[in-house]
Amino acid sequence: MELLLDDLDTRGALREAAEKAGISRAVFLGGTIASVVAALSAPAAAEAVSRNDIAVLNFALVLEYLQSSFYTEADRSAALHGKAAAAARRVGAVERAHVKAFEALLGRQAIKRPAFNFAGTTESDRPFLKTAVAFEDLAVAAYKGQAPRLRSKQVLASALAIHSVEARHAAWMRYLFHVQPAVSAFDDAASKPKIERVVAGTHFIVARPRMEARRRPRLTG
Amino acid sequence: MPAVRPTVPPRIDETATTRTQLLQRATVCGGAVVGGGIVWGLSQLSFAAPSDEQDARVFKLVLALEHVKAAFYEQALARAGLNGELRDFARTVAQHEKSHVAFLEQALGGATESTPRPDFGDALKDVDAFSAAAVKLEDLAVATYNGQAVNLTTASLTAAARVVSVEARHAAWIRSILGEVPATEPTDAPASEDETRARLRDFGVDVG
Amino acid sequence: MSRRIVAALGAAVVAACAVVAIGKVAVGAPAGPTSSLRGAPLPRAPRPALSVPSPRDLADSRHVSVWTILVRPTTARARPDADARPVARLARRTPEGTPNSLVPLGRAGDGHGHVWVRARLPVLPNGTTGWVPRRALGAYQAVRTHLVVDLERLTATLLRDGRPVLRAKVGVGQPRWPTPRGEFHIRNRLTGYRDPFYGPLAFGTSARSAKLTDWPGGGFVGIHGTDRPDLVPGRVSHGCIRMRNDDVLRLGRLMPVGTPLTIR
Repeated sequence: MELLLDDLDTRGALREAAEKAGISRAVFLGGTIASVVAALSAPAAAEAVSRNDIAVLNFALVLEYLQSSFYTEADRSAALHGKAAAAARRVGAVERAHVKAFEALLGRQAIKRPAFNFAGTTESDRPFLKTAVAFEDLAVAAYKGQAPRLRSKQVLASALAIHSVEARHAAWMRYLFHVQPAVSAFDDAASKPKIERVVAGTHFIVARPRMEARRRPRLTG
Repeated sequence: MPAVRPTVPPRIDETATTRTQLLQRATVCGGAVVGGGIVWGLSQLSFAAPSDEQDARVFKLVLALEHVKAAFYEQALARAGLNGELRDFARTVAQHEKSHVAFLEQALGGATESTPRPDFGDALKDVDAFSAAAVKLEDLAVATYNGQAVNLTTASLTAAARVVSVEARHAAWIRSILGEVPATEPTDAPASEDETRARLRDFGVDVG
Repeated sequence: MSRRIVAALGAAVVAACAVVAIGKVAVGAPAGPTSSLRGAPLPRAPRPALSVPSPRDLADSRHVSVWTILVRPTTARARPDADARPVARLARRTPEGTPNSLVPLGRAGDGHGHVWVRARLPVLPNGTTGWVPRRALGAYQAVRTHLVVDLERLTATLLRDGRPVLRAKVGVGQPRWPTPRGEFHIRNRLTGYRDPFYGPLAFGTSARSAKLTDWPGGGFVGIHGTDRPDLVPGRVSHGCIRMRNDDVLRLGRLMPVGTPLTIR
């Protein structure tokens, strides 16, 4: 199952922009992140980042949202202990900083933060560490897969500078989870479709529930 | 273990693919504009454009670094008095660095002439010295790869990216063993060629 | 044209440009460390496109409250254990048809690797808590707002990050149908109805009237507008918190569903 836009476009912002850019609804509904974001016309901020790079940046931003929301929720839940709790606090701070940087560069072009149901993995030490290992390894593979596709050397420099930090995080979480921090001499890249499949398979990304109803109140009055 | 391509598709930069374009480049080398083509000003010397030749220079630099690291861990296992976790770490990392050396040598078409064989002396006199040096070397590897990767052609970048993350894992691993925070910065700063050479000189290694 | 020739041409152009460039750059260029690799040093990495700020710990979490929905009906229990005494059965939806919601207060594992969450339950007596399995719950969402209703002063104050952003007078329950005191949360918004009694906008809360137990819909206390603004402030309702219509509309712009509600 591809990471479909509807799962992510929680406030309709991307849909609105797509309609403004004249992209057919069919493309949108079946579309992946890249295909629609790439089709949006307006450049991002002061330095015109190419459409291609905007799409890559938004893809990375989804993963940064995933990680920052995960660690932030774990930190807030106050349900972790010892080094796991400390890791949630420190790594969460870093991932939140990453998110701020992406949002600042992408401006209105930034994809909206999805809602995440982490199904208890932020509330118990072992599931937390296991999931953190998966997320960090995933981020490393994703950045590695996307870096060669970037047009701008400046964006590439940023991607590399973050990619190696995610690898440090991966080793950090693996160590806490008592598995080998560096298994192979060469880490593998993962393609965007592969990453999207993995993320979709977690079912962590959910639609925001509708908490509003057009109904006459049956309250006590 | 991945199959490694020793040669990269020959290109000047990512857009020049035909002989005509190459000849056009030659005429604009000094900085003229050719009808809507690329402006080659002084700030955009052909050095900045990825090329096979530049890839080779980058690979030579990082190979020198990998030689140093491989020698470091090899010697550490022999005489630094490592035990337990640190020993396991050094054994695994030594293997990785050997693989990195092998890959880079193959990419360059065979073993290079000048292989630095440093003697680390004090850096390996005991476990603490080893640990401190390992942190420095792994961080240096990350900074060097990050600094040079932007110069590479796509295929070489793809390969280099597969190595730098492993070096970063090493860096966080040794810090974890030492009880330090495994990663403190939100980004890893790149090191220029000069910085890399300077930091290697701190280890008494001159790869010039 | 063979690849090797292209490559060689490429190398020749590079070398030619190199010669030209060095000729131009050498003048006034600072003498740097020498390199055994021919040519000028490798280019420095460009300025990164992303400007990453310093990592910061979470801002004061005192003002952050988390809420979540039920994704399936579930039984809340006295302890975090599938065999513990049931406290209440929770439906998936509210009487208004919106997802039922809870504010998590704490977590525990049950020894089988399952997470259980303690929450206040929308049941009588108000303030009842129970444990529900995490898998019955949805995404956790955070809010920074807090609505405080003062039954003595007859005021409602909306706080954001601990600071008041809205103050309004309210009508509350008559003595025989008192508005209950305690900790609750805003659980839905109701719009698009035509009943001036409730004004233009209504919010459902998790608070129940202790007296109107047979009320249709369960006797939940709401916050809504009114067609009798002359009665606000006052002790005038069946338990609901009434506001003047312009106040409830302002509240609607500032207060997300899930906001914790303190009635004191």
